[in-house]
Amino acid sequence: MTPNNICNMAILKGLDIIAVTDHNSTKQLESVSKVAQSLGLHFLFGCEIQTIEEVHILGLFNSLDKTNKLQEWIDQHMPTIPNKVDFFGKQEICNIQDEVIGIEERLLLVSLDVSVEETIDKIHELGGKAILAHVLDRENSITHQLGFIPKGLPYDGLEVKSEDQIQRVLDNHPWIQKDSTTWFIDSDAHRLIDMSEREHKLDDIIFKDWWGIQV
Amino acid sequence: MKLNELMNELKWSNRTPDLNLEREVSGVYCGDLLSWVMGNGLPDQAWITVQGHMNIIAVAGLREFSCIIIAEDASIEEEVIQKAIEENIPIFESHLPVFETAKLLIEKGL
Repeated sequence: MTPNNICNMAILKGLDIIAVTDHNSTKQLESVSKVAQSLGLHFLFGCEIQTIEEVHILGLFNSLDKTNKLQEWIDQHMPTIPNKVDFFGKQEICNIQDEVIGIEERLLLVSLDVSVEETIDKIHELGGKAILAHVLDRENSITHQLGFIPKGLPYDGLEVKSEDQIQRVLDNHPWIQKDSTTWFIDSDAHRLIDMSEREHKLDDIIFKDWWGIQV
Repeated sequence: MKLNELMNELKWSNRTPDLNLEREVSGVYCGDLLSWVMGNGLPDQAWITVQGHMNIIAVAGLREFSCIIIAEDASIEEEVIQKAIEENIPIFESHLPVFETAKLLIEKGL
């Protein structure tokens, strides 16, 4: 998945907006955002952070400045374990021409030494929105790692894979209200082939209200 | 075996010293994945984990564990301790890894 592959596939799929949320890294965002901008595609600057509980949380931001500050925080909290390329693959950083301009040598598939709560606080401190990722997945979701979504956790949205999953979340969490929760149904694509068509939409007004600014 | 007899011998740090330890320990459960522990733990077990999130108190209450033993100096916030006191769930720290912690419990007859 290179910057041009991702953005052009998004255009082919007819998507209006994409968020790029690499695992524990924001270093690819600059070039992908530039390619997205050149194609007229709305872009959210993101990151999928893995907490000490091995829970995945998405941070979404409206500028590279904010994700650069997030990267400084990640660097302070990520253990330095060298990547094993044979096992985990290459962690390359590309420019807007899809040319490799850097390699992340540290293994990114690790947990930061911060809790779910500290991570959400940091995202908010930097002016971002925190979404609990793929909340019903059997790997690295908050329900799998922590049993359930804690009452009062100050997240801004829940990511699910389907409408059915919304009902399952509601059935197991009487303290979560359907209408006062912002639900994200998205593909969580890790490969180009997994990027969805325009199957799901978030109401424009709801999204702008949630995001707080024009995107 | 009573929890107080067990802990008197093991001398692990008791983070909730005001709680009554006059309760039965029937066995041991080890696990950090809370969805799994919620589904498989049994009443009166001593639960060994390195998971320090607040949700451990709810899980221990749900499964009626006799205590939580935090292994290997995993961090646990003061507010989690406070919640444990409110919910009457004793918390100990073994300072040893999970396997060594469990071995000591086996030596004591569990």
